[in-house]
Amino acid sequence: MSGATLRPVLRRVAAGLLVLWIAATAAYLALLAAPGDIVDSIVGEGPDTPEIRAEIMREWGLDRPALVQYLDYLWRLAGGDLGRSYLLQRPVAEVIGEQVGPTFTLAAAAAALGVLLALLAALTTAGPRRPWLRRGVSTVELVLVSTPAFLIGIVLLSVLSFRFGLFPVSGDQGLAALVLPAVTLALPIAGLLAQVLRDSLDRALEEPFVLTARARGVVERVVLLRHVLRHALLPVVTLAGWQFSLLIGSTIIVEQVFGRPGLGQVVLNAVTSGDMPVVLAVVTLSAAVYVAVNTLADLAYLLVDPRLRRS
Amino acid sequence: MPAGRPRRLAVAALVPLLVLTAACSTGSAAPTDAGQPRSGGSLTWAVETEPITLNPHQYSQAKARLLVWNSFESLLTYDREGRVVPWLATGYQVSPDGLTYTIGLRDGIRFTDGETFDAATVKANLDKLREPEYNPAVSAVQLRNLKTVEVVDPRTVRLVLSTPDVLILDFLASPQGAQVSPKSLREAKNLKAGGVDVAGTGPFVLEAYVPGQELRYRRNPDYATPPPHATHTGPAHLETITYRFLKESAVRVGALTSGQVQLIEGVPATDQPLITGNPALRLTRELNSGSSYGYYLNTSRPPFDDIRVRQAFQEAVDVDAVLQAVYQGTATRAWSVVSPSSRLYDKRLEGGLSGDVARANRLLDEAGWTARDAEGFRTKAGTRLTVRLLQAAPYLRDRRDVLAQAVQAAVKQSTGIDLDVAQVDLGSWNQAFADNEYEVFDNSRADTDAGLSLNLLLHTDGTVNRTKINDARLDDLLEAGQAASDPARRAAIYADIQQRAVRELALFLPLYAPADQIAASVAVGGVTFEPTAGVPAGAYDLWLGK
Repeated sequence: MSGATLRPVLRRVAAGLLVLWIAATAAYLALLAAPGDIVDSIVGEGPDTPEIRAEIMREWGLDRPALVQYLDYLWRLAGGDLGRSYLLQRPVAEVIGEQVGPTFTLAAAAAALGVLLALLAALTTAGPRRPWLRRGVSTVELVLVSTPAFLIGIVLLSVLSFRFGLFPVSGDQGLAALVLPAVTLALPIAGLLAQVLRDSLDRALEEPFVLTARARGVVERVVLLRHVLRHALLPVVTLAGWQFSLLIGSTIIVEQVFGRPGLGQVVLNAVTSGDMPVVLAVVTLSAAVYVAVNTLADLAYLLVDPRLRRS
Repeated sequence: MPAGRPRRLAVAALVPLLVLTAACSTGSAAPTDAGQPRSGGSLTWAVETEPITLNPHQYSQAKARLLVWNSFESLLTYDREGRVVPWLATGYQVSPDGLTYTIGLRDGIRFTDGETFDAATVKANLDKLREPEYNPAVSAVQLRNLKTVEVVDPRTVRLVLSTPDVLILDFLASPQGAQVSPKSLREAKNLKAGGVDVAGTGPFVLEAYVPGQELRYRRNPDYATPPPHATHTGPAHLETITYRFLKESAVRVGALTSGQVQLIEGVPATDQPLITGNPALRLTRELNSGSSYGYYLNTSRPPFDDIRVRQAFQEAVDVDAVLQAVYQGTATRAWSVVSPSSRLYDKRLEGGLSGDVARANRLLDEAGWTARDAEGFRTKAGTRLTVRLLQAAPYLRDRRDVLAQAVQAAVKQSTGIDLDVAQVDLGSWNQAFADNEYEVFDNSRADTDAGLSLNLLLHTDGTVNRTKINDARLDDLLEAGQAASDPARRAAIYADIQQRAVRELALFLPLYAPADQIAASVAVGGVTFEPTAGVPAGAYDLWLGK
């Protein structure tokens, strides 16, 4: 790789690191500014005496100045040490490590399914060909986008699991247990992406090059797939990258409903009980995912649009 | 026969939205079609709460208690009459001065990791609990008065206290007092978190923990130490039992009705008709021990520094009507700080607070809250009669937020009191207590000995003395109760404490007695609650009928 192509890559990595640092610091400050102190969260509902508090301060090094704690936290973070969970009394890396797999599997499955459904919905209904189908599909999309994932999940469970017994209700038991949660997450994404993609396709269909292609006698399907779709895909790629980053948040609810292992439960417990090391680690991890996904999206532009490759 | 009832099931999704009249069976042992107990088989039990720790020493969640006794056991336990009886111990003697407890231990018991149980084990466990940074809460409260632990011989251990404290027996019967293998205490990777490498003497061995998903237990084939209240001896009936974590009640009920799990716990009032209307399922419920749920009134600041306002607040609520509206007849009304299921419960309080609105209004008039503002709330010197209740979101259960709204509406209508309810995060909640910016504190505690709850809640130095009461008579009574070893005398003292707290000082508005529910397939036998604690029992007595 030549220096000219390496420089933008390095710039990206540096920007990514900067984002990570800002995310970690912002999360740290937010937790510091949140009402109540850390000792309270560790004490929880349990008995609370000055001796207990003093012991907790000592145990977790909370008696040091805030700046020292922050620098210590950054230093350990740089070295890959995420600390120990106040609540679970285990290393954070271990807690998150064992939960990251199921969440990413779910998020990836949901993203893939969402994109697939969106492509299907938009491609079959773009343009003025089937106005009735277009109206129907578009309405369904809007409903899905505006329905909370919680409700979609419960309805899917009630019908497909409780009533017809097609899928297990819970757990990480192979592919069957992945279907309903993935569909639950994928439907709203598909709805949103399809709306945007259809809009984008509609606009592309009006471009002169479509007329040229049609004039050359290209079949409509090929016009859509080879010419219009590529043209219309850019905003969708951006949106899909952003949606995937948001997915990590949506998994919290879906994992709760389906009793699936994953980061969701961990995050929820950590946030509600003020388990700072876990919250910080998850925020940093999410930022890392965000950076990675957006970088991939940028790279995808190059694949989709040859014009960008030249510049 | 875990066959589902398809037509009913689709309703599960809508249940939170529906108001249904409820009926439910009560009592500890439900009739089943499970036939005679038989050995073998596997069950899956969907539970609401994933334990934050699997180490019994670190136990803090009543909802996780049913898991503890599967793999761990204590020296003592409670029988069905609420008396402390030996379990891993053979018995105990208390010296006349109440300072020395000599405990005999059973012979030939082994931990599931092969270690032997003896007096040195008991000492190792107690010493571990008193180590700094291991469990500050237990060492500061339950073991506060424990001076030394002496190994007399392999079968005898002696506990020497600094002051007489009968609650030490409750501790020895509690999950925190459970016996952990000394090898685990030394070598476990994450001792405080617990896990498969922390062994006990119980009827099951923890085989796998999948965080966020489930716990799997396998039968301990060498088990020989069932508690006295168990219905059989020898190893457990079940080959394996899996506890799956399903936080949503509608999902738990759906999983049960579709036969994907055979037992669930935590069945809210709105979901109970789905169980009771299904002949393939049984619902059982039992009251928890400890303190009942209700509102503690902060005496350290206006308006509740005036006892007349506290008394008025107690009388301003028609508790029966409120409970009926929120729980549709499935809740048991509380009359005291102590749960009606406790041995220390003072029955004389029943019928005491009758929702006497006329008296409430008279008291408020006397206290000077005579004017009314535009919204109909009482005022005094331009200040509205507002009392704030903060509920911590993580601790919210039993629809206590809805109950608070019902009480809010009731006191507004009956007396013009403005109950300001807010659900907040844990940090804000703690901050409000630290700043003394609250008037009402809601709480219930699931301690097996209500005396422990009352020490924390009502003593001047109690760690959750949110009423900020500083009453010499109450403190004297609480201290006498902790030192009294004669059950009758102890009950008399605690009756006085309850009268003092609820009637004379008007510190507490009792609302309901917390309960646990189990719904199970009729194919499951041996569904019981733990005596005294009133929470679902472990899996030792469960069996799966053919």
